[in-house]
Amino acid sequence: MIFAFKRLKDVFSRYKILTLLLAISVIWGLFTYMTGGDFLTPRNFSNLLRQMAITGMLAAGMVFVIIAGEIDLSVGSLLGLLGGIAAILDLRFHLPIVVTLMLVIGLGGLIGLANGYWVAYQRVPSFIVGLAGLMAFRGILLGVTDGSTVAPVSGALVLVGQGYLPFLVGKGLAGVLFVLLVWTTFRSRKRHRALLLHVPPLWQDLTKLVGTGAIIAGFITMFDAYRGVPIPVLILLLILGLFSIMANRTVFGRRIYAIGGNLEATRLSGVNVQQVKLLIFVLMGVMCAFAGITTTARLAAGSPSAGSLGELDAIASCIIGGTSMRGGSGTVFGALIGALIMASLDNGMSMLDVDNFWQMIVKGAILLLAVWLDVTTGSKR
Amino acid sequence: MAEYLLEMRGIVKEFSGVKAVDGIDLKVRRGEVMALCGENGAGKSTLVKVLSAVYPYGTWDGTILWEGRELKASSIRDTERAGIVIIHQELMLVPQLSVAENIFLGHEPTLPGGLIDFETMYSRAAQLMAEVGMPQIKTALPVSYFGGGQQQLIEIAKALNKNAKLLILDEPSSSLTKSEIDGLLRLIDGLRAKGTACVYISHKLEEVAAIADRVTVIRDGTLVGTAPMADLSVDEIIRMMVGREIKNLYPREPHPVGDVIFEARGITCYDIDNPAHKRVDNVSFTLRHGEILGIAGLIGAGRTELVSALFGAYPGRSEGEIRLDGEVLRISSPRAAVAKGICMVPEDRKHHGIVPQMAIGHNITLSTLPRFAPSLLINEEVELQAMLEEIRRLGIKAGSPALPISSLSGGNQQKAVISKMLMPLPRILILDEPTRGVDVGAKYEIYKLMFELARQGMSIIMVSSELPEILGISDRVLVMGEGQLRGDFINESLTQEKILAAAITQLPLAG
Repeated sequence: MIFAFKRLKDVFSRYKILTLLLAISVIWGLFTYMTGGDFLTPRNFSNLLRQMAITGMLAAGMVFVIIAGEIDLSVGSLLGLLGGIAAILDLRFHLPIVVTLMLVIGLGGLIGLANGYWVAYQRVPSFIVGLAGLMAFRGILLGVTDGSTVAPVSGALVLVGQGYLPFLVGKGLAGVLFVLLVWTTFRSRKRHRALLLHVPPLWQDLTKLVGTGAIIAGFITMFDAYRGVPIPVLILLLILGLFSIMANRTVFGRRIYAIGGNLEATRLSGVNVQQVKLLIFVLMGVMCAFAGITTTARLAAGSPSAGSLGELDAIASCIIGGTSMRGGSGTVFGALIGALIMASLDNGMSMLDVDNFWQMIVKGAILLLAVWLDVTTGSKR
Repeated sequence: MAEYLLEMRGIVKEFSGVKAVDGIDLKVRRGEVMALCGENGAGKSTLVKVLSAVYPYGTWDGTILWEGRELKASSIRDTERAGIVIIHQELMLVPQLSVAENIFLGHEPTLPGGLIDFETMYSRAAQLMAEVGMPQIKTALPVSYFGGGQQQLIEIAKALNKNAKLLILDEPSSSLTKSEIDGLLRLIDGLRAKGTACVYISHKLEEVAAIADRVTVIRDGTLVGTAPMADLSVDEIIRMMVGREIKNLYPREPHPVGDVIFEARGITCYDIDNPAHKRVDNVSFTLRHGEILGIAGLIGAGRTELVSALFGAYPGRSEGEIRLDGEVLRISSPRAAVAKGICMVPEDRKHHGIVPQMAIGHNITLSTLPRFAPSLLINEEVELQAMLEEIRRLGIKAGSPALPISSLSGGNQQKAVISKMLMPLPRILILDEPTRGVDVGAKYEIYKLMFELARQGMSIIMVSSELPEILGISDRVLVMGEGQLRGDFINESLTQEKILAAAITQLPLAG
């Protein structure tokens, strides 16, 4: 029994992502069974992913903050503030949508820059900088909105949160994505062979491709059976792609992992670690802008309470998705799967009319369990 | 009553097959000061840890007799109850707590009901502080308020409170000023008169000569001898400490040495916590093209601080002037140093060298990543080729550059860190203890590499605590002691004795 458990733990630690996917199917299966099939209808599926998009955007930024060994508690409030400002620019100043979006994203970057400056150059612990922002940003939001909802925002802005891609475009993009995957897989095999590196067996890559293809096809079918791919989900997928490349293929991305793994060693290698940290926080600010705009668009209003506790959902997503609190390891993909797990729990339990207090208890327990699994299966230091 | 307070007989302590201490005897009488001398790594700390049960009974071989009875201590608590108290080189005080609270930490006097009896605590603390020669001290002040020497005395007061019969002082004077050391020696003398015995571990042989009744010298984990201080001179102690043959592990290869290219003038580094204390004191030296410059000295001599300052990595305040090719360099960070062609492989590989989770290859290219990213993206093929080339050139034994660096042996990790700092093609390479924790085979390869680099015209500064290594590799040797430059020798007919003598004596020697 103990050996079986130990073996299971080994499998978990080696195939983290597989484990996460397994967890999702178990959760989805359970909810589908308990709701008599209502959970996995195209309508609810679309709804679920749109719910997940906002936490996902925050988690995509947060994962780099945590990999670098820092934390940012201000993102929920910053989301609210930037969403509120988007609503005000739209409603009171009637700015064109593109200008509104640019301004809000720019402001998000600037606020992130300020957070990063305090952390990287003034050496205030990020926990404190985040805590200060958590209070101050919410306060500014209450001030600029007089504590009341800013509504209704223009149709163009609403579209960002509630629009859908035309079916044809959705299917086309899915096709392009799959072709791209096939192409990169074979290109990488060829390059590995040329450099005399280990090339995984063909069946392994093919299985991976077929599996991914099936998932893409399944997703697009589900979406199109309702109203198409939601715009926020598309944005999130673009972020996933861009950030994954950034993490693996750019100097900046590599340095984030190095800093989280060993800050001193990285500094003594001649890397400007302060600048890297600064940029991570800028990125986080921009992600808050995306999440804030999406929130306002989804509600068709700027709410003074938008994004409350959003920082905790984002952090929990990263952790459930396998990001180490010690820094140095984690992936964007994992963080988004974590966000999907959190959103699935919310959505499923709401459908089952589970009391809100139970939902919170369950989510807390799952977070604890996920980290416990990570700690017990992780390498012994 | 037994003749000796403490008798350690035939102590052997192994670490995974390597004998750090191999059959050492140490006997201490009541009211006697026994000095324990030996080079870095001779086994002094291990012996002390056996005695104080940091390594509990059963994890080592041999016998310890305490007041004539065998001592089988399983923890420091046991040895402290017996009256053996160790004061570590790094003081174990809680800076935020008051002097009295520190003295009584873990042994707080309590009132019925469990509350701390502060009145007893403060009056007893005042008595103890008077005993160690600080009667005027306010024991309610936090420890951080006091300087290093005073903190040392507080440690001793803490030990006295535990009714210490044997006090072990491990390098007690390494961060003290001259007058503080005098005070400490007076105190030990006073305790001796009252019957408290002391094991005094120090590199500073003048102190040993001033305070010790007898001296025990150990070398490479074995006992060289024990003799009354009156029968010994400082020179004899040095000879006993060194006295080993140099094997031909260091095949010096002749290589041309060119003109002076680098000059450091008046480098001074101040202690971070105690700005009055100079860790490096006005050190000036030059370095030639293709030269291997060894920096010798005992632990705490300021060698690491000196080279860290050259590399822009000294954490405290430092001053001085650095010139490369006659041009004054402003080096405020390691990044600036690397950009100017100065690279450093730090002493502490685990904390300052490797990024453990990252791949071997990614560790190697960490210092020069932008070179592999002509556009926004890293060109992984070019990067991989560079990694493979480096792994081949340095002979890193790795299955694949994609494995985490923590999977390598110490020697191969060190080669990877050296490779990382060679990637920027430095003109000056600083190696701080390059072969620490490295097996003999890898050591040899690192030496070969150093000669190869020097032949290609790179100038190398090597800090090392192993004198045979210093003598076997260097073209020229700087000797540091207590933050000062104590000698600058051409490595011809230079001996370990000469180096140690220079490190220990106050006057600078010329060679």
